[in-house]
Amino acid sequence: MKPNTRNKWAGFLAVQVIVLAGVAGSWSVISSETRQTVLNSGGSPRVAVVPIKYDQPLRIEPLYDDPLVVSDRELTAVLAKVRPKFPPKERRPNFVEHALRTWGVDATFSDPDVMSGIELRDFLIDHGQFVASWGKKIPALLQAEDSGISIRWGRQKGASVHHDHLLASLTEAGISRNQRVYALGRRGATFDSILQQALLDVRLDEKEVEWSAMAFALWLPPQKSWTTADGRAMSFDLLAKRLMRGHSRFGVCSGTHRVYSLMLLARIDEMMRTSGDKQAGDKKESEGLLSDAVLNDVYDHLASVRDLISVSQFDDGSWPGNWYDGAEAVAFPADEEAHKKVIATGHHLEWLAIAPEHLHPPRAQIRKAAQWIIRATLDQSDEKLRERYTFYSHVGNALALWRNTHPADFWKKHQAERAAAGN
Amino acid sequence: MSATLPEQQTASQPTAASDRPATNSSDQPAWISTTPAATLIVAALAIVFVYHVFLPLWHTDLWGHLSYGRFIHRTGSLPATEPLMPLSEGVAFVGTAWLSQVLGFVTMNSFGAVGIQFLYAAGVTLCAALLAWRVWLRSRSAPFVLLAMGLFLWVGWQHLAIVRPQLAGLACFVTLFVLLTARRWSRANWIIVPVLFALWANLHGSFLVGLAMLGAFCIGRGCDVLRRTDRFAAVIGDRESRRFLLLTELAAVAVLVNPYGIGLYSSIFAVSGNLNLTDIVEWEPMTLRLKHGQAAAIVSLVLVMLYRVSPRRVRVAEILLLAGLGAAACWTSRMIIWWAPVAAYFVALHGSASWKRAARKKPPSVNLLRPHLLWTCISLSVVALVVSAKFCEPALRGQGGRENLNRSRLSADTPVRAVKHLREFPPTGQVFNSYELGDYLLWAGPPRVPVFVASHAHLVPREVWQSYMQVMNLSINWDDALARFGVNTILIEKERRRGLVSRLRADDNWQMTYEDDLAVVFRRVVPIGAQ
Repeated sequence: MKPNTRNKWAGFLAVQVIVLAGVAGSWSVISSETRQTVLNSGGSPRVAVVPIKYDQPLRIEPLYDDPLVVSDRELTAVLAKVRPKFPPKERRPNFVEHALRTWGVDATFSDPDVMSGIELRDFLIDHGQFVASWGKKIPALLQAEDSGISIRWGRQKGASVHHDHLLASLTEAGISRNQRVYALGRRGATFDSILQQALLDVRLDEKEVEWSAMAFALWLPPQKSWTTADGRAMSFDLLAKRLMRGHSRFGVCSGTHRVYSLMLLARIDEMMRTSGDKQAGDKKESEGLLSDAVLNDVYDHLASVRDLISVSQFDDGSWPGNWYDGAEAVAFPADEEAHKKVIATGHHLEWLAIAPEHLHPPRAQIRKAAQWIIRATLDQSDEKLRERYTFYSHVGNALALWRNTHPADFWKKHQAERAAAGN
Repeated sequence: MSATLPEQQTASQPTAASDRPATNSSDQPAWISTTPAATLIVAALAIVFVYHVFLPLWHTDLWGHLSYGRFIHRTGSLPATEPLMPLSEGVAFVGTAWLSQVLGFVTMNSFGAVGIQFLYAAGVTLCAALLAWRVWLRSRSAPFVLLAMGLFLWVGWQHLAIVRPQLAGLACFVTLFVLLTARRWSRANWIIVPVLFALWANLHGSFLVGLAMLGAFCIGRGCDVLRRTDRFAAVIGDRESRRFLLLTELAAVAVLVNPYGIGLYSSIFAVSGNLNLTDIVEWEPMTLRLKHGQAAAIVSLVLVMLYRVSPRRVRVAEILLLAGLGAAACWTSRMIIWWAPVAAYFVALHGSASWKRAARKKPPSVNLLRPHLLWTCISLSVVALVVSAKFCEPALRGQGGRENLNRSRLSADTPVRAVKHLREFPPTGQVFNSYELGDYLLWAGPPRVPVFVASHAHLVPREVWQSYMQVMNLSINWDDALARFGVNTILIEKERRRGLVSRLRADDNWQMTYEDDLAVVFRRVVPIGAQ
């Protein structure tokens, strides 16, 4: 080889070495997030899995047992009305989800027409059962994605109505993260596949984040932040601020779900700080789910809700759909459908059952509200109640919580007592 | 395109007497003497500088960049997520122009608006001067140098008028172009080009255009060799092709010297692919309705005609550059800024060659190439005068003028008084503002003012941007969109957003609390969050 040619090749190779060293060096010093971004930009997205420590979700226990809010007899009567009796054909996922979050996975009933907790759960996580109810022409409820399983939601037939409502319902019902899920075109999936996909899909500014916030808060602690598919750094602080943002009338169910989700975030935060708690509190020196500033804002917000419902209750005990208008809602009652009051009153009773007392209106108001909703539920025909099952399911859950129990536990006890009395 | 003479032949042709550098007629040393042509060009550059240095600062992007520069300077680090707009919290922030932003802020902090004006004018003048220098060296024709400068400024004007880090990118681009179009290869380029790219990658994300230009030169040279020899082996063995290839590789790896390393590449692509940008005029395709579209069309026609008559050899690289950057400008009009200097250069180059061939036998009327000390003195005087003019501005204006001086340094569309009103009466809750006013609000508004959107539209979450457009277009439920975000205060232009202003005036929920010729401020009568 001539010296010139040798030099030429030496120069060429030297540049290649510089390039390779530069790329390798740069790759080694960048953060894992940046690496992920680079990999994602090259076509099929590869997504980091959010680490989740526990196989079971956290559970927020009720705080009060007040028979003056609801007696055993009243609770039994209300729960009997909201047992999940759904027709096998075209069974609406939204109804099943509401029934499941109310009754939980362990619920059992002697009436064969009533779905057990297991049956409710399986309808939501087994594509075969969904097809049996809806046929093959309706798109699947569980959609296989590259990085997990998403839920078809919206107003279409056979869809879950709200984003991440199915996830939150299964979570509140106490599903295991390792529970097998049967989706079309996806083998070996578990509930974790749904959860991971939801963590990626969530968008802070979408219409509803109430259920996303709730489900994630019950699963993720002590993890407090993660990155979504669009590269946004998500945290419970952000979700809490989003839930407090804007006018309450834009929240689902007259803005009451936002309040429930915020209360739940605050309770989990408290669990983590004081913990104690074996699941949430890895850092015993009390790091909460939320930052101090945001937690203060959440409590201020909840206190303002307390103040508003304290002055917006009608004489009959019900709260109107526009409770956020405060005293004006009573002075100038809106011309609204009756079920709006059921929604507002049932949902407020639900979050108040897990709220500390300083966030309560006077207990007399709560009792009055409970009496109104008990009457409204019992007076409702079965047919009407089935049409609006989702609203009344919250009533059943709320009243059980006010007796420091859960509907399935109370019902089981009731059935056992009845059986004993029969014997 | 006409058949052309090989470049070497063109270069070695005997030049007309008027074009030949004349010898120094006096006893002055050659290095200190200059020509009337050079003085003419210096005077033209002085005009460019003076024009730009007195141009009021544009009211949009600049202030956003300065705000990010301020944040980076004060915290001493680059934020991982968007730090200034609450609605963008958590959105990944990649400071593709962090160095420009910090330099801009330091300049602003040290010298005020006049410093930015000076930087801006210096940047534009530098680009024009580099282009002029290269055209001069290739053509030795002052009129064509002036033509190149003029065309560059004319075609690029719409984007040059906006003071932003892109100007730093343009200076790097023109520098690279000047290096690559030199007659002779300099060994120093092995250092200069990678250093230039390392700097460019920190100044502005447009370094990708520079890499594309290097690629065009590399491919173009390969095609030229292939066309001439019909042998691929000749391409591989060609020294110049290899040189361009290696230089491209070195430039690409030099870019990695930035805070984001290799991640910068994917971030730049992510920004350019952001859907929000499709709603912004400068990211839309270029049409003949746009002024710079018309200018580009005229220059393109001139280029086509020149290629018919030019005696110069046409290289594949120049076609790749003109066609590639032209296509990019058609795709998104913002790219015209990169096409402008390239097109201006080739118009001047082929224009000058064509002119010389046509005018070969005509006697020159004026000899612009005779050097003399006098011309050096005049050139230096012009430069000194121009540079000092800006700093003498307050004295020249007198006492009364001085009061309005600061205001006059900002464009008439800068919402100075409306933002002052917001500082005096800080907003509660979320602010809704037009995109064009967001940057200045970030810069001069109350501390931590919750700006809705600003010109860094790619940092705004898609749903927030869609809501912004919903309100601005007065689409159905536009007022609900405001309530959803808890907007209690609105800052918009009075005339430009006439429709929204009149709807808000008629709405009992809103009260106008400030109004001037430019902007209005509305506040919600019962603020959200205070029900």
